[in-house]
Order: sequence, then C-alpha cells, then structure tokens
Amino acid sequence: MATSTILLPGQTVPVSGLPKTKKGTLTLGPGLYHTPPATITATTSGNLQTDPRKGALWLDHGHGRYLPAVNDLVIAQVHHGSTDNYSCIITPHTPYALLGQLAFEGASRKTRPKLESGDLVYARVLSAGKGEDVEIECFNSATGKAEGMGPLKNGFVFDVSPSFARRLMMGSDKEGRSKGGVVVLEEVGEKVRFEVAVGRNGRVWIDSGSVRETIAIGQLLKRADEEDLGVEAQKKFAKKMLKDV
Amino acid sequence: MGPEITHHPLARADGSATLSSNLYTVLAAVSGPIEVQRRDELPEEAAIEVNIRPSSGVGGPRERWLESVVTAVLRSVLLVHMHPRTLVQVTLQLTRAPTVKLKGAVGDVAALPTLVNAAVLALVDGGLPMASTVVAALVAVSREGGVGVEPGEKGLVGCGSVHALAYTLHGEMLLNESAGSFGVEQWGEVADAAERACVAAMGPGGQDEEMVNGASEATPWLRQELEERARDAVAWRDAT
Repeated sequence: MATSTILLPGQTVPVSGLPKTKKGTLTLGPGLYHTPPATITATTSGNLQTDPRKGALWLDHGHGRYLPAVNDLVIAQVHHGSTDNYSCIITPHTPYALLGQLAFEGASRKTRPKLESGDLVYARVLSAGKGEDVEIECFNSATGKAEGMGPLKNGFVFDVSPSFARRLMMGSDKEGRSKGGVVVLEEVGEKVRFEVAVGRNGRVWIDSGSVRETIAIGQLLKRADEEDLGVEAQKKFAKKMLKDV
Repeated sequence: MGPEITHHPLARADGSATLSSNLYTVLAAVSGPIEVQRRDELPEEAAIEVNIRPSSGVGGPRERWLESVVTAVLRSVLLVHMHPRTLVQVTLQLTRAPTVKLKGAVGDVAALPTLVNAAVLALVDGGLPMASTVVAALVAVSREGGVGVEPGEKGLVGCGSVHALAYTLHGEMLLNESAGSFGVEQWGEVADAAERACVAAMGPGGQDEEMVNGASEATPWLRQELEERARDAVAWRDAT
C-alpha cells in the first residue's frame, strides 16, 4: 500500500504512481497540488502515500504547524468571549477560531455552558476556508449530539507535534495493534486510570487521579514524540514510569 | 561533500536549520503561516518577512539589502496564494563569517548563497508549500580568469569578481547578483558553472558528475539531506 517514493518540492508525481479507481477520480491530500490538466506536484519534501481503494494520494511528512481542516477534532483554549462567539486559540500566533455560544449539545440562550478565559474545549472544525476565520463547534451539527466534545474540566494539556497527534488518533487495526505505532497510552492504561483527549492540533489533554500521574503520562508522550521512540522503547519507558509512580 | 547541515535545531520555530558553507554559517528559523499585521496584510497572498542578523551587531543597510534580495527569491518560490492574509516570517542569523576583510560589495554578495540555502532548508523543515526546490551557489572569478565554485577565503580575497546565483529544480534562474569587474563571456562561464553545481546538488543520487575545478560540489547534498529527513519521518511505518 505504501510506496517509498520520496519527492522534493516541485517534483511531479510519475503517472505510474497514480492509483486507478473505477470512477477515474483522485483525491489529493496534504503536500500535493494539481495543475490542470494532469500534473500533480509535490509542495514539500516527503513520502508519497497512496490508498488505491479510495483513490487518494498524499505526502507523508513530519513537518510544520497544524493547518485547520474541516472535521478535525482539536483542543481549543478560550481566549475571550463576546455576545455571539467565544474566540479560541487552536495554534499559537494565528487569528482566533470562533466557537458559537450556542454550539453545544442542547444549548439555548438560557442553558449554555459559561466558558471563562483559559478554559479548554474539545471541538470539531466546522469551516476553514482560505483567508477566512476558522470556525469550530462542540457538537455535531448534523446529528445534534456532543459525541465526546465539549468543555474539558481539570487535567493538563501537553504539546506534541501534529504528526504525532495524527498517529495517536489512527486507532488500531483488526489485531488490536496500534496503526500509528504508539502504544504508550495502552501500556499505561493497564495499570493507571486516566482520561485522555487528543487534539489534531498537537495538544493532548490528560486527567488522571493525581497530579503526579498526569505529569508522568504527559512526559512519557512527549518523550515518545521528541525522541521518535519505537514500539519496544515505548513499552520499556512506560513500564519504567509505572514503577516510579 | 557539500555544506554541513543540522536539521530542526530550534524546537519553538515551525522550521529551522543551520547551514555551514566554506565561508559562512547561518541559523535559519521560519514561522508560518502566522497572523499578519493589518498594515502588511495582502488580500490574495501570504506576506513574506525576512530578518537578517549579522554575526556581530544588529545590522544596517547591508543587511536590509540582503533581506530585500532574499525576500525576492523566496517570493518566487513559495506558494503564497495558498495562504492569503498570513505571514511567513524568516529569520536568518549569521553565526560565522570570514575573518578576512572583504572589500565592499564582495562581502555582501558572498553571503547570499548561504543565506538562501539556509532559508530554503528551514522552509522545507517547516512544511511551507513551495513551487520548487532551490539551490544557490557562489562562484568567484580570479584575476587570471579562472572560475571556481564555492571558493574559500583565499579564493575570495584575491578575486576579480564574485557571483551569487540560484536555480530551481527545473533549471530556472532565481538569483543573479555580482560584484567586481567582469565581462559578458566571463559571466556566461560563471552561470554555466553555477547551474551545473546547483542541478547537481538537487539531482538524483548515484550519478557520476565531472569534478569542477577540483572542488567536490558535485555531490547531491540537498537531495540526500531532504531524502534522509523524509525517511526519518516515516520510520515508524516500517516498525508497525
């Protein structure tokens, strides 16, 4: 499934690398852009990945800051509120993302969460057009349900790279192995009870019984990210941490 | 052989790199796309801000000129229309400069290729979208007329002219600054030598290139560096 073609910025994808689909359409992911009629060029350096089933291609690279995309789950921090919206921070040094005051499950003018400056929310990106303000919401506006989103009380937030956050969110395959190659949380979860929320913007919220455990789990995650630990090394450090806590 | 490169030395910048050529060492840091001041905002494209700090002092007209040249090169290569009303902020800090005193414009032009190459490496590290890979090369012409790519301090002190040129993956020239006295034919030789060196730096690895004036700039150093980084980024896929 994964090809090992490495592309440099400006290199075109060879036609043989393009997956064939029944409908004949292709979906382009991050790192590629299309020049009509039939040229696909890489915008950064990375590995070309293809999914023949969906007819998708994208460039896998570990770089750079998070760019909001529709339907991503993010952890946002409220900066200030106004009559209609809360202005929230998703990534540093970017304009505020807008969270509607009524964008919560079952919210009306009388019954809505009153968020203060500094509060955290688990939200979904509603819209993120080019040059426009990012809008987020804390419920699925199609179904009207919260689906795990909403304010996050207590706990602590740790910063990881956006690509690590993506790996954390990949889930497991049929045999129960982590698709993203991150087993830290499962290892720790066998001994310690904690709640976790992963934001695609490179933020992980952890709430455990004690401060000590929360900090230890967070530092374990950061270490797995910064030192690029493999599955075995992650298990080793997780066991070591569990002994100390 | 190529220049010495370290990747992602700064944790808080979106992209960073250090590059050491024969003459200069530059620490480049890139942030973007980030929020832009109202007065610098462009409605359809990203604004580019380049800050150059010399190895000592805060910089004066020389650094402002270098900034304008580097900004022009980066603007032709960054895909600025992908992020309108944002800012791409590039900071280039010179950490090592030649100890010899270089006369006038020679010193200014000599710094350009290292600055451009470091900026490009940092932009790629930060994942900023680019239309093409770019490599810059420094070429000196001695008083006798000999053309040398990537000269050392000695080659620079006694030179007749010095030239900074940059080329894209597709062979387009993005930068052409010169200092000293030279003729049109000489410039033609210089441009050919620079293009060969730049294309070699980006070329697919494993090909035999002829050595230019004995210097070993024929190694595809940029491609090797970027490919290594790309392999590291997906190392976790092979493990699962």
